[in-house]
Amino acid sequence: MAELHIIGQIIGASGFPQNSLFCKWGVHAGGAWRLLSGLKEGQTQVDNPQIGEMAYWSHPIDLHFTTKGLQGWPKIHLQVWHQDSYGRCQLLGYGYCHVPSSPGHHRVSCVTWRPVGTWQEQLAHAFVGGGPQLRSPDTIYSGADRYRLHTEAMGTVDLELGIITSRFDKFGVES
Amino acid sequence: MASPPIDSRGKARKKRQESLRKDDTQEPQSSDEDPGETLKRTIRAQRQRRKKMLLEQSQEDSEDVVEDISPIQHKTEDAEEAEKMTDPPRTKKSLSKLPPIPGSQHLEDLMTQNLKEKLLAARTRVESLHQQESSIKPPSRLQRLKDRETITRFDRDLDANVSQSLSTRVQFREAAKKNDTGIPTAEEAYNFFTFNFEPEPEESEEQSKESLTKRKTSLEDEDSEREQEESDIDQANQDKDHNEEAPLVQGDDLFAIEQSTQDFIVVKKAQYIRYHKRLQHERELLFTPSLRPVPTSVKLPENIKPRYLEDEGLYVGERPPVSFTNENIFENRLLKSVEGKKWFGDDGRIKALPNPIKESSTRPPLFHMEEDLDPALQTVFRKPVMSKPENVYFAGVGDSAGDFQLDVDVSGLIFSHHPLFSREHVLASRLVQLYDQHLNRQHNNLTGYLSEKLKGLRTALKNMIEIHGTENVTEALQQRFLEYSVEVNDTRQMRDREQEKDRTLLKNIIKVWKDMKALREFQKFTNTPYRLQLRRENVDRGLDEQEYEGEVLAEVIELEAEADQEYQRKMADYRTQLEKWKLWRRKQKGKKKKTKRNAAANSEDEDMSESESNQEEPLPKPDPPEKPDIQRLEQTVREKASRIRRKPGEPILIPELSASGNITATDQCPRAEVSRRTDVGRRTLFVKIIYNDKEVSRTDSCALNSDFRVHFGQIFNLRIINCPQSICLQVFEEGGVPCSLLTQVFIPAPDPSVLTGSALIENFEFSSNQRVIYDHEGVGSDVPLSFEADGSNKVTLLTSGKLACCVSWAIGDDDVPLAPPVSQQHGRIHSGLGHLDAVSSIGASGLYDLKKIGEWAKQSRLDPNDPKNASIMQLLKVASSGEVTAPDYFRLEQLQEEFNFVGDEELDNSKRYKLLRLRNQGVPEFRNYKFVPALEREVSDKVFQDYEKRLKEGDVVDTKQHLDSHRAFVASYLKKIRESVFNRFLLAKHHYLLTDLVVEEEIPTIGLLGINIFKLAEPKRPLKPQRKERKKVTAQNLSDGDIKLLVNIIRAYDIPVRKPHSNKPAPVQTSQADLYQVQVRPFVEVSFQRTLLQTTTAEGPNPSWNEELQLPFSAPNGDYSTANLQSVKDEVFINIFDEMLHETGPGDGEKQKSIHTRFERHWLGSVKIPFSTIYSQCKIEGTFKVNTPPVLLGYSKERSHNPNGGYDLTVSGGAFISLFITIEPQLVPGESIREKFDSQEEESLLLATERFEREAARSHPDRPCLTTVIDLNGKTVFITRYIKPLNPPLDLISDTAMSMSMVARFVSLIPSLPDRVSFSGNCDLWTTCDQFLTFLAGDEEEHAVLLCNYFLFMEKRAWLVIGTAIPEGPTAYVLTYDQSRYLIWNPSSGQHYGQYDTFCPLKAVGCLVDAHNVWFNVQQYSCPTRISFDTSKNNLWRPFFSRSFTHPGLSSVQPEQMMYHNTDKSAVAELQDRIEKILKEKIMEWRPRHVTRWNRFCCSALKQFLPKLEKSSGQDLVEGHRHDLLTLLGDHKISGFPLNLPFSEIMPIIEAVHSTGVHNIQAPKVEFALAVYVHPYPSNVLSVWVYLASLIRD
Repeated sequence: MAELHIIGQIIGASGFPQNSLFCKWGVHAGGAWRLLSGLKEGQTQVDNPQIGEMAYWSHPIDLHFTTKGLQGWPKIHLQVWHQDSYGRCQLLGYGYCHVPSSPGHHRVSCVTWRPVGTWQEQLAHAFVGGGPQLRSPDTIYSGADRYRLHTEAMGTVDLELGIITSRFDKFGVES
Repeated sequence: MASPPIDSRGKARKKRQESLRKDDTQEPQSSDEDPGETLKRTIRAQRQRRKKMLLEQSQEDSEDVVEDISPIQHKTEDAEEAEKMTDPPRTKKSLSKLPPIPGSQHLEDLMTQNLKEKLLAARTRVESLHQQESSIKPPSRLQRLKDRETITRFDRDLDANVSQSLSTRVQFREAAKKNDTGIPTAEEAYNFFTFNFEPEPEESEEQSKESLTKRKTSLEDEDSEREQEESDIDQANQDKDHNEEAPLVQGDDLFAIEQSTQDFIVVKKAQYIRYHKRLQHERELLFTPSLRPVPTSVKLPENIKPRYLEDEGLYVGERPPVSFTNENIFENRLLKSVEGKKWFGDDGRIKALPNPIKESSTRPPLFHMEEDLDPALQTVFRKPVMSKPENVYFAGVGDSAGDFQLDVDVSGLIFSHHPLFSREHVLASRLVQLYDQHLNRQHNNLTGYLSEKLKGLRTALKNMIEIHGTENVTEALQQRFLEYSVEVNDTRQMRDREQEKDRTLLKNIIKVWKDMKALREFQKFTNTPYRLQLRRENVDRGLDEQEYEGEVLAEVIELEAEADQEYQRKMADYRTQLEKWKLWRRKQKGKKKKTKRNAAANSEDEDMSESESNQEEPLPKPDPPEKPDIQRLEQTVREKASRIRRKPGEPILIPELSASGNITATDQCPRAEVSRRTDVGRRTLFVKIIYNDKEVSRTDSCALNSDFRVHFGQIFNLRIINCPQSICLQVFEEGGVPCSLLTQVFIPAPDPSVLTGSALIENFEFSSNQRVIYDHEGVGSDVPLSFEADGSNKVTLLTSGKLACCVSWAIGDDDVPLAPPVSQQHGRIHSGLGHLDAVSSIGASGLYDLKKIGEWAKQSRLDPNDPKNASIMQLLKVASSGEVTAPDYFRLEQLQEEFNFVGDEELDNSKRYKLLRLRNQGVPEFRNYKFVPALEREVSDKVFQDYEKRLKEGDVVDTKQHLDSHRAFVASYLKKIRESVFNRFLLAKHHYLLTDLVVEEEIPTIGLLGINIFKLAEPKRPLKPQRKERKKVTAQNLSDGDIKLLVNIIRAYDIPVRKPHSNKPAPVQTSQADLYQVQVRPFVEVSFQRTLLQTTTAEGPNPSWNEELQLPFSAPNGDYSTANLQSVKDEVFINIFDEMLHETGPGDGEKQKSIHTRFERHWLGSVKIPFSTIYSQCKIEGTFKVNTPPVLLGYSKERSHNPNGGYDLTVSGGAFISLFITIEPQLVPGESIREKFDSQEEESLLLATERFEREAARSHPDRPCLTTVIDLNGKTVFITRYIKPLNPPLDLISDTAMSMSMVARFVSLIPSLPDRVSFSGNCDLWTTCDQFLTFLAGDEEEHAVLLCNYFLFMEKRAWLVIGTAIPEGPTAYVLTYDQSRYLIWNPSSGQHYGQYDTFCPLKAVGCLVDAHNVWFNVQQYSCPTRISFDTSKNNLWRPFFSRSFTHPGLSSVQPEQMMYHNTDKSAVAELQDRIEKILKEKIMEWRPRHVTRWNRFCCSALKQFLPKLEKSSGQDLVEGHRHDLLTLLGDHKISGFPLNLPFSEIMPIIEAVHSTGVHNIQAPKVEFALAVYVHPYPSNVLSVWVYLASLIRD
């Protein structure tokens, strides 16, 4: 019966090799969690910063969960995409972060990575764009072994999350 | 706290040393000894003085001088103090003796002298002090601290002690102090680090100091001379300083504040130590281990021999590789250290762990990462893609989807009949078909299989009987016997059937071949290469006969047994029945006896049976069953056998068809045949591939071969986004006539598991009913054809054939099927993938549910021995043996249970969560639910009542609410359609454009500016205000109370006027009445959402109010979204009332004092405008016809004949009202759906419609143009398909004179329901007429179409008019041309208007539609009064189909004929009673404070009148009716009126009654009368009449 509110925003992204970014996001929670209201996935607009390097989206997140257990605490997974001057979209980074578990205001920065692929793919990426993508994007947040996957660090996505917990104390969870 | 002075002191000392060495005599002597108290002051003064003096002296020396000032000063102080100690009088003397400003020359001498003296004195004093110290105990530190103040005050008594103690302290910091002086020398550094700072006893301090220096010197014996000297001097100075410094510290403490930084800084040269010296130093300090190996004996403890564990056989790991030199160095070093030997092992080597570095790398190599990467981690290289609209059709697939590919393999075409077939071809194709069939049967060999099975079964049965014997069989065994015999019987019958088929097939083949041979001979040429050969296989006659007989015998036996059993069963039946009969008979007898006794009957049995038969049905005496006739059985068996089986000894005939024959060359053929052949040669065929009704590709044209086979062999790869709904292959034929569609073959969309490569090519049969006749040998199609000589036995052959093709999902580069996931296919309404084969539907294709397979196998009695079923049997065996038993469930989060806070039930039961969830899901009841309580207990159960009720009802129809089961059914059906349409549009709604999201203010241009400037110059006309364009407001940021409805009531015309009571002479004041002759005092009341507002009262039948009323608007649930606003069903009622003023009788006593007036209002008529209309139109302006009741008691329709009006006003009698209605602020009406719908229309037609509409919109943007509409299935349909003559109900057109208006009335009685309301989107769905009549609800368009179709049936010229009208906006009317007069019919009210009627609600005509064409109005005006309706003139009406684009012969979507059923009379009567009861209850409810009396007499009178009204449609009965009523109710003042409504639901009726305000009459003695009449029309169309009257007794 405990409830969790996640209210916040995806502020933006910085440190990516290209500008003009947008972000697909989703919140993944375990089986014990139920979404009471709000959208748990979405996509931001494309921001093409004129000044500075950071792309700002200020994309609101407002979710209300209830849970019967602590397992599977919600996590936010992100995919940062780049829209190039031809209007083509390509993936720039995957990332995920846990929703903070303590109530209050949090500023979370989520680092992202991108699969590198073979040298042919890298070459293609450099010249014609595109790039390797995960076949199953669940891997972003699932605990699967990712070894052997060659990745490259990308920029960070900043999130601002306000957490309100309710009635966790009733079940002995203190925050 | 003493450090800064110490530092400064140190520096000072150093400087002084230097100055001493240099013997800087040029400095001015400043031995200005002051006595203790004034010392400070004087020194300051002196310094200033001296500075001045020095500046005078020399500029170059100034720095030095300045630097040296303080040391000198100190020194002088020191000296002075020393002097104080030694000889105070001298100091006094010198003080007095010295002149204030000494001269530089003679100062030198003085200084040197002085210094020498001081040195001497200091030395002696040090000695003496040391002697003193040894005796005097040093004061504690604390004391010293305390004493400091006294010291600063230069307390002489304490001076010596303090200075000394301080100096000792200074000693300890010697080294540190030295560091400050500059770069420390090596010695100094050494001293610093090695100096022992342990506090030594104070008395031995000096000695220790000396010993220290001695030790130092001993260490530094190789040091250079100069250094030694220096250190010596240093030492000496230090020693000397002790005394001198002590007071100095205190002094410095004070002076430091005054001194500049330069006083403490000295610039020094960089010190350099020579290399070899440094090496020497280092050599002393450092220890360099030797490189030589160390002998083992040194490393081990004495007398121990090295022990090698390896030699003892113990495992010793490999030591990490270290070079020998390194090892040696290390060993040497270790040996030097304390306990160095413990590092060595028994073998004399350094102990070491085995080499930790593994030989092979633990991490597997990273090459070949592509091959065996975890599939979950595999990446795909994706090209950057244009962002395309979300994959709406494959919902939920996400971004990874979108690339689905269908491979359509069109391999070929075989005609089984073609118009160009010659007769021989027909036969040949028949032969081929039969032969194929034969081959197919042969291959399957069902007969053989069944015979074998039969044989097996028989032996099994026989065996069983043999083993168990016929006796003592158990119940189960018996059952098995039975089963077996039944099985045998079934199998036998099946086999017989198959055999018969085989035989007939063979016979047919032979017959056709014979025919063909005959034909060839007859026509003397051959067209086909087929030849049939019959191969004979002789058989052994004896064996064959034996077999044959055995077979027959076995069958006979079986049949016998069966018959026997049957007989037995029948016998048993018979016996039981006989028993029954006997019992019954006995009973009857007993009864008979009784009756006989009573009635004294006459005779015995015969009579009894007779009377019996009279009294009761007698039981028939059962007949015993017949014995089976064995003889006949055998006969039948034999007959059958001879029919279906080969006779014994007859050779087996095996037909063999070969295509090896020769075709006669063309030049040898007759002319007709030649022309046929050339025709064949000309023909080419190609196939178009139509995917989801769109042509995607086509094959090459291939020539038709003489054998009528076409091979295409082309594979088309379709990349698709939309879910495959239909895949269609259209076969086109070219040659002769230009390109005709031969046929189309629909191919089911493949199952997602059907992939290219594994899919088989299937033959799809097709046929076409095209009629083709040729004059040559070609037989044509759809032409009767006979092969008999006499022309009998005709057959009609249609073009048909088989298309071999295959549709499958492609496989991607990486072997991933490009098919949509299976799960996507489920739950889709319009999925084309419903054609799953039986096996896959039970799950066999996935092979995951073994249980199901088992069941299926059991059901279908799979033969376990059949090799075809081997795999399934194997699987089943495995399944049943439990080798692969898996639990029925898969637990995803196995530990969840243990850690749960609460169970699922509790979460499910939580009302609050439920409320939150439902609100989030947008369930209509909770869509805009505002505040959800924070606590569970605050959520009441009531919240869910409505919702749960709705869920529970579901399909169950609540007849109570709808009063009528049919309408209830329709309502629920409509709801379903609404849902599906809503879901369909939900997708379309998400297609946003930029303008939907971003509001951009238009940038004012120069032109606009110019216009504005002109506006300034315009004359102001305050009396003629103009309406300005307002800013539109998007609906999202609105809340309750923001939106207002503005109703501007301008004027009204022709309002009914009061009629004087005829039978009663005017009351008292006749003269006054004449004077004021008030005809009517009307006012308007507007009611909307139960808010009432009224205008002031005006006078006369043509009043002018010009008033604006503001009505608040609140959206349901507070949801101001566009969709919700569109579906607001509320209506604005505009009622016109007459205000009656009654002066009620004043009290008897005071006649003159008070007069009571009573207002009374009488309803005159109303206009109602749905909110949805206002919303979609933004504003409504115009003159509306007021719906006045046909009879208005107490009023007459005074017609104001306007002689000036040129037009015929008499056509439209009645009252009118001018209104302007708008919404404040202006809301953005919902956008129409930007969605292209599928269509079955041809592409060219669709293109033409688009072009036509585009052109129309460009030339006349304000005229609606409609060429295509959307039908209920969401398909685009051309509009003319809706127009078709349809029969109206028969009884309506029996009266020819009235028929048109009767039909119009019938149509108008069908309730109207705007699509916008029902389908919550700005989309217009057109239903066909039969659908419309079934739903009994529809838009204006449906009414118009139905009316138009009726008129057409009545052989009138009628068109559908697409135009704009008030208040409907864009709508459809009907135009008729009758008796050289155009009439415009409003289909939803049934009214008709002449073309030149000014009050015609149709304001603009956009286009006319009839069954064959659409005309767009291209005249200058659009108003019907000003245009010509002659559609033949192309310059006035632009036709859609013209000579250049002819009508392709579109068939109608309407049904052939309308079926009407009679309405149930009793149900209508019941409905009538219910409405009356409900209305009466409601009226009483609306009058809570008054007694509502019903005048029964009046009620019944009114009731009788209503049917008459219906018959006459409310005309010309008024007078008579009034008269009747007045005679009936003589002394009552009656006011009342009948209302007529189409019936849809009860609520609109209640609303209408409420809006008349009859219940508001509050006269004391008022009585009411109410009568309801429901008139049934066919097909459940009901006309409801409500007669309301109020009676006031005079």
